[in-house]
Amino acid sequence: MSLTPSLKPLALAGFLSLATVIAGCSDSAYQSSFVYSQGTLSLMREAQDGTKETPGVKKLLDDRFGDPQHLKAWGKLPVDFGGTLTSVEEVSESEPGNKIIKLTVEEGKSLPMKAGSVKFVTGACSGESVQVSKWNAETGEATLAIAPSKEIAAGDACAVDGGTVLSSGRMLYMRHCSHCHGTSGDGNGPTARYLNPKPRDYRHGVFKFTSTNDMSKISRDDLSRIVKYGIPGTYMPSFLLMKDDEHHAIIEYVRFLTLRGEYERKLVAELSSDFSEVAYDSRLKAGEKKPEIQSELQEYLAEDLKESASTLGDELAEIWSAADTEEAAIVPSMPRVTDTPESRRRGRELYLSKTLNCADCHGIDGAGNGPQTIAFEKNPQKANELYNEPGLHDIWDNLNQPRNLQLGMYRGGRRPIDLFSRIHAGIKGSRMPSFKNTPHEDIWHIVNYVLSIPFESDPGATAIAPSAAAESVAAPALVTAPTPK
Amino acid sequence: MKKFWALFFFFWPTVAIISCVIAPSRGWWFPSPPMSRTGVQIDGLFYLILIIVTITFVATQYVLAYALWKGATKESGSKALFSHGSHKLEIIWTIVPSFILVFISLSQLDVLAEIRVISKFPEKATKVAEVTARQFEWRIRYPKPGTELTTVENPGDLYYVNELHVPTGKPVIINLRTQDVQHAFFSPQLRVKQDAVPGLVIPIWFDVREVGNYDLVCAELCGWGHYKMKARIVAQSQSSVDKYLKQLEADQNADGTKSEAAASGDE
Ligand code: HEC
Ligand code: HEC
Ligand SMILES: [Cu+2]
Repeated sequence: MSLTPSLKPLALAGFLSLATVIAGCSDSAYQSSFVYSQGTLSLMREAQDGTKETPGVKKLLDDRFGDPQHLKAWGKLPVDFGGTLTSVEEVSESEPGNKIIKLTVEEGKSLPMKAGSVKFVTGACSGESVQVSKWNAETGEATLAIAPSKEIAAGDACAVDGGTVLSSGRMLYMRHCSHCHGTSGDGNGPTARYLNPKPRDYRHGVFKFTSTNDMSKISRDDLSRIVKYGIPGTYMPSFLLMKDDEHHAIIEYVRFLTLRGEYERKLVAELSSDFSEVAYDSRLKAGEKKPEIQSELQEYLAEDLKESASTLGDELAEIWSAADTEEAAIVPSMPRVTDTPESRRRGRELYLSKTLNCADCHGIDGAGNGPQTIAFEKNPQKANELYNEPGLHDIWDNLNQPRNLQLGMYRGGRRPIDLFSRIHAGIKGSRMPSFKNTPHEDIWHIVNYVLSIPFESDPGATAIAPSAAAESVAAPALVTAPTPK
Repeated sequence: MKKFWALFFFFWPTVAIISCVIAPSRGWWFPSPPMSRTGVQIDGLFYLILIIVTITFVATQYVLAYALWKGATKESGSKALFSHGSHKLEIIWTIVPSFILVFISLSQLDVLAEIRVISKFPEKATKVAEVTARQFEWRIRYPKPGTELTTVENPGDLYYVNELHVPTGKPVIINLRTQDVQHAFFSPQLRVKQDAVPGLVIPIWFDVREVGNYDLVCAELCGWGHYKMKARIVAQSQSSVDKYLKQLEADQNADGTKSEAAASGDE
């Protein structure tokens, strides 16, 4: 019978370990925060934190975007935060303390079928969120479970079930994406250090694989394709089985993070030339006085930056909304040229030509080993210094290897239109340039050639002399292309 | 207290018997019936082993409970019996299990051969696709419609990810490979499980009995994103598969001009 006492500590240990696991799963474990960019942290402290009366960069950012636990929906941004924006038409009381508000929506929009809560956006109750106990979708009358602390007035704007898309987007993002792309979308999650290429840092607002013109942002459709199909040849996985509403929520959340990061960059750009720590030091050295600089900063924060804070939002809203319009989309002026040996040969000539010079980066045989890959580049971060390793670098400061075109692995998709877009608009943020001035017919020839490279029996074996090719269009050239199907 | 332990060990085999009796009617069984022919055979093997193991478990537990009960009800002060074991008993409990093990291993040989030995694959099985596992997704390659699947890529092959379409009612062959580490192709409802080994192209065959969507998951812990390797096997009639491939071909040839978009449908 000596078994029982010895069992007790064992059982106790079992319970204890279970308890710690449960405690570890509590909400507090998920406390997370957005980090500020290196740019923000390189500013003078007063520019980061502001002064008593005027907000600095950090506060401007937090007021508009919040933190992961308390996301804010800045109405200006072209992000579907979820919910319906309504305004209060009249306020009544069925019995003392039992408030009923009648809500209306803008012309052309309709009231939601369900309403769980309303959040006041303007007016005395601004920021307060109240549960709705009864909702009449016909009349728009909402009975509030408890009266808010202040008076509601007709004309106050409030959001019904506001932010539902954004908050579910955040949950999904934290589960599926944040370990690579980071909580703030800085591409620096815990697993990012093991990956090459690095996960996208959204904060530049630049995305590589778009169907939009070289100067346009990425469209929602492009984001959708990327999340659905992944990026073959990189660690970006496919999330094909995600449900449609989850898919929508996650894309809106990526846009939210992207806009937050880009907004931050723009604010910092306004300040950094005069008010970064480095600029401050050199201004002191140049003989300026500390109080002078500080009052200049004070004035700048109170006037210029305050104004920029709002105009920058408008600018971002405009360019991001434009990306989803037809004007931004790349539409070839002619259908794909039939994939014949002649077309491929013409494509190869263009590939090698001096004007386009794809071979400079991708190599004569397309193996991604052109001369540019062995040259040392200047490091834009450090004046007059070269990078430690040879090769091209992208705007995220990572080594940017030109693609090995013999592998037939197309990260932005293998449809002819995908390759057409890659060549037409370039790969944004990377060193693959835009060839938007090249006639569309020529681009199609190049596409035909590029798509045939993986199947050439001896890639690059050709009588076409590199770079002289464009001039000698008529010269007979031997291209080892497989017979057309 | 002594009797408590005897009853405690008596309780468990009793629970085992009760659950065996009521499980089939309560649906406490496999999450789904086997959806492929080999799946039925595999379930048969599973049940065979389950029956042997259950009988062994119940019998030995009752013997244990009986022995405990005998000890618990002994008058206190009675002397313990010293035994150095029994040669005869030991021979019996060595020979009986070894016969059982030999029986199990022989009885599954046929099924194993049918599933794994390439020369025993059904003759009319067609190669439908190559599935390449990678961290952390399943890349699918279909041969260009009208051509045979080969181990190298060919112009016009069709590509997709995380969704595999197969025809129902006939044996199909999948060429399984991996781009990086070891993964395993596992479809619980089809009872298909095969490791993907770097450097090898491993053919697997199965036939799906009913139209429907089945899970495809990775069953080899392959890294921190192992759980992400969820995909879907869509089993449909041959004509639906053909239609799907035609649509896929049109999508893959999209050149972004209007006529093409109209032809391919959902561009
Ligand atoms: C295993 C790591 C990983 C996970 C998980 C991951 N990504 Fe990525 N993602 C990457 C990498 C790596 C790239 C960059 C690929 C490149 O530069 O070619 C990328 C790029 C992207 C891009 C940019 C594409 C472009 O055109 O520039 C978007 C958008 C994106 N990921 C969204 C997501 C979303 C949304 C999720 C979650 C549902 C997610 N990612 C999960 C690794 C990951
Ligand atoms: C200055 C160097 C440079 C030149 C010139 C250049 N490329 Fe690139 N190219 C790159 C780099 C770098 C990448 C990889 C970008 C990335 O994914 O980050 C790339 C990627 C590609 C891709 C892969 C697209 C995908 O979806 O995976 C194709 C195709 C391509 N280039 C074709 C061309 C063609 C055709 C030309 C000439 C018309 C050309 N490139 C000229 C640097 C260059
Ligand atoms: Cu795996």
